[in-house]
This record gives sequence, C-alpha cells and structure tokens, in this order.
Amino acid sequence: MKGIELVKLIDTSLCTACRGCQVACKQWNELPAFRTHNSGSYQNPPDLQWNTWTLIRFQEYEDAKGNFKWLFRKDGCMHCTDAACVKVCPSGALHHTTFGTVGIQKEKCIGCKECVAACPFNIPRYDRATDKVTKCDLCYSRLRDSLSPACIKSCPTGALTIGAKDTMIRKAHARVKVLGGDANVYGDKFVDGTHVVYVLTEKPGVYDVLPVKPHVPLSVMAWKDLLKPLSLVAVGGVLAASFLHYIIHGPKTPDDADNQTKEGGA
Amino acid sequence: MKKGLIKATDAFERIVHWSLAISCLILCFTGLGMMFQSFNFIGDLMGGLKSLKYVHNFTGLFFILALIFTIRMWWREAGIFSMPEDLEWMLCAGGYLWHVDHPPKMGKYNPGQKMFFLTVAFFGVIMVITGLVMWFPFSFPVGLTRWMYPLHALGFVVIFAFFFVHLYLGTIGSPGSLPAMLHGWVTRAWLVKQHAKWLEEMEEKGTLEVYGEEKKGAHGH
Repeated sequence: MKGIELVKLIDTSLCTACRGCQVACKQWNELPAFRTHNSGSYQNPPDLQWNTWTLIRFQEYEDAKGNFKWLFRKDGCMHCTDAACVKVCPSGALHHTTFGTVGIQKEKCIGCKECVAACPFNIPRYDRATDKVTKCDLCYSRLRDSLSPACIKSCPTGALTIGAKDTMIRKAHARVKVLGGDANVYGDKFVDGTHVVYVLTEKPGVYDVLPVKPHVPLSVMAWKDLLKPLSLVAVGGVLAASFLHYIIHGPKTPDDADNQTKEGGA
Repeated sequence: MKKGLIKATDAFERIVHWSLAISCLILCFTGLGMMFQSFNFIGDLMGGLKSLKYVHNFTGLFFILALIFTIRMWWREAGIFSMPEDLEWMLCAGGYLWHVDHPPKMGKYNPGQKMFFLTVAFFGVIMVITGLVMWFPFSFPVGLTRWMYPLHALGFVVIFAFFFVHLYLGTIGSPGSLPAMLHGWVTRAWLVKQHAKWLEEMEEKGTLEVYGEEKKGAHGH
C-alpha cells in the first residue's frame, strides 16, 4: 500500500452496526472509554469525542412512503484532499500523508483549536487535559506497515474496505448501480475528493449531521488564501514606499531655528 | 537635557505608548509564528510553539489594558478631527508627498497621526474581540467563530503595515520626532515645523515647559 493514494470505502448498505470498528479503533489507538448514560439509542457515546475517533450513528428514519428504516453510518474523519484543517493548522501537526490521508502529529499540536472550527465535517475534538486536538489518522501506523486500518480489519460484513483510490471509487459506483433507488456515492465530488467515501443508501440530506455540500469554509479561504499573503505584501509595500519616500522626497526635517520663514527648496 | 528643549509628552503618556507598542509588537511577531509555518521558529525562542501560543494569549491580556489606557488618554486629542485645518492638511498630504509651501499649522496631532490612532483603536478593539473568541471558540456558535480568524488576520494586515509607516515617520522620515517618545523633550524648530498651532496654544495658555526655564510666562524667545 506504500505511497499510493488510498480510499476507504464505507458501504452503509452492508453495515450491521456491530460497532466492531468503534472498539477496534479504541484498541489500536489506545483510547480510553468513559461512562455514558443510556439516551434511548444504541449510539454510544452520543457523539465523536477526543477518545472516540469513529462512531456508528444510529438513526431511525421514515421515508416518503412511510417505510421505516434504521440507518447506520460510521462517522469519522473524511481525509479530504483539500483539507481545511491542514490549511489552518499553524504548526503542521495536521498534514497530508503519502496515502492522501490527513495525518496528525500529536507532539506538534499546540491546542489552538483552529481546525475544530474549520472542519466542514465537524470531526476534530479537543482534549482539555492534554491541550491537544485528536482525530482519526486512518491508522497511519498500520498503513505504513502495509496493514489495513483497525476498523477495516475488524469489519465482519465487508462494509469497510480499503484500496487504491480509482479502484475503490469505481467499486463504489458499481455498488450504487446494484443498489439502485436513492443509493449514491458520497465523497468523490467535493473538497477535491475525500479519502473516505460512502455508499449511502439514502440521499445525503437524510443522514444526521452529514453535510450535503461540504466545502472549505469561505472564511478559511479569505483568511489563508487572501489575507495571509496580503499581510506580507502590505508590509513589503510599506517598506518599499518608505524607502522610496526617503530617497525621492526626503524626510521632513525641521528648518533651522533662525531661518523659519523661508522654506528650503524641495 | 539641553537647555531650551520643550516638553512634548509626560511620563504617563510615554509609559502607555510603550506598553501598547511593545505588547503589540510581541503579539505581531508571535502571531506571525503561528500564521506562517515558515515562521514557526519564532516559537523556538520561547521553548516551542505551544509556549508561543501562551505568550501570545497572555500578552493579549496586557494589550487589552494598554489599549484601554491608550484610548482613554488620546481619544480627545487624537480621535477628533479639527476642521478646517485637518481637511486642508489632508488635501496637501501634510507636505509629506509633494512640495507644499505652507502646510496648515497643526495642533498636537496632525490628521495622519489621528488616522493612525483611530486605526489602532478600532482594529485594536477588533483584535481583542476576535482574539478572545478564538481563545474560547467553544463558547460561541461555529458560524461566528469561523469569521473571527479572517477578521483577526485583517486586523493584523492593517496594524502590521501601519506599524512600519509609524516606525518610518517616527524616526528617519521625520527627524526630531523620536525624542518625543523617548524622553519627551523636543526642539522648538521641530515643534514649529510639525505642530505650530500646538506650540502657539501652549504659549498662550502658559503651559509651555522649556527645559531650564521657569514654567510660568514662558513666552518664547
């Protein structure tokens, strides 16, 4: 797998919500679990947390025809190609790996939380105790050694698979054709393509907290693509203008005390 | 101090000025360290980028104090334009850009300085508000938080660029100005050139302080 662009495919039509992936993720990444409360759903914990990088979302859904459906969606980092989090990260803790995934180097994180606000999928989570942000790194430590990520390794139904980007996207579209109906591929068409791609059985808008048209926020572009370079251009311009002013017009020097009435020639 | 120099600022003004200036500069350079990964090395001076973050945040608190004092101290003198001379001054750019025989006589602050003060005050407040939201982003809706970052960057663009204008005009661009903020005593020639109206006002009111002379009745010469 070394050096090739990967895509993890999540086929929601095959997911049985066993949550093996959720546990395997915690095990491999040595993430603790916290006591939670029964909220009337199997979805537990209720949301992603700094110690829960992937989560099966359980959703009870009734479609237009009155059919009841129980939807399962494995939530977690989408590993964007045009990743807002990487764009805003001041320290380089968040970075693109050779697999195309978004890695996170814990030691470099300074806990500024800028990625938390920037992420269009609301994935990074902040841990107050360590003053650091965490998220799924698609098991970089395993990919590096040609092993599949822990979640995929644990998946009993084949809902989770990983492989070369093009192959997986083709596979996703083929699967959608088989499923028919509202089934669709989610992930290959925005933020320059994510490295986690869904086969969704329902339209994206149906799913809880899944953005229909995710994009790098406009604010991030104004900030990083416009104002950031402008800050240096402005300073350069001012320095150049000051220098030119000094050598062309000259400084504004006080006249000699005895000779105040007459202006000296320019 | 040489005899005949005139007092332009008192110690309080200079302390407030330098409190704001130094905290602002620390904020600019630590901010640069976080804005550009190529400037991350600025963090090394402080034991890492994480320490730099704390230096930035806590200097920000000091900056808030300095900014409050700055605005309180200067808004009357430097925050309000006095017409018509300020308009005339602006129309001839104060004689800074092309030759002007007699630029209008200025009070304690010329419109350029006033604009600088207003810019610092306005964007200073913007930096404080956006900075505090960025420090505690989870206390605000994400749609709001997101726009604090570009606003903070915009404030930086303006303040950092203006800082260099200020640096130039406070030193080599206008010789004789720097002492006003170092020890506070300036030459009469400089005052006549830069702030003639202020000089006249001080002479009329008898508030003029000349080094080595009695304060009262200091009517020139």
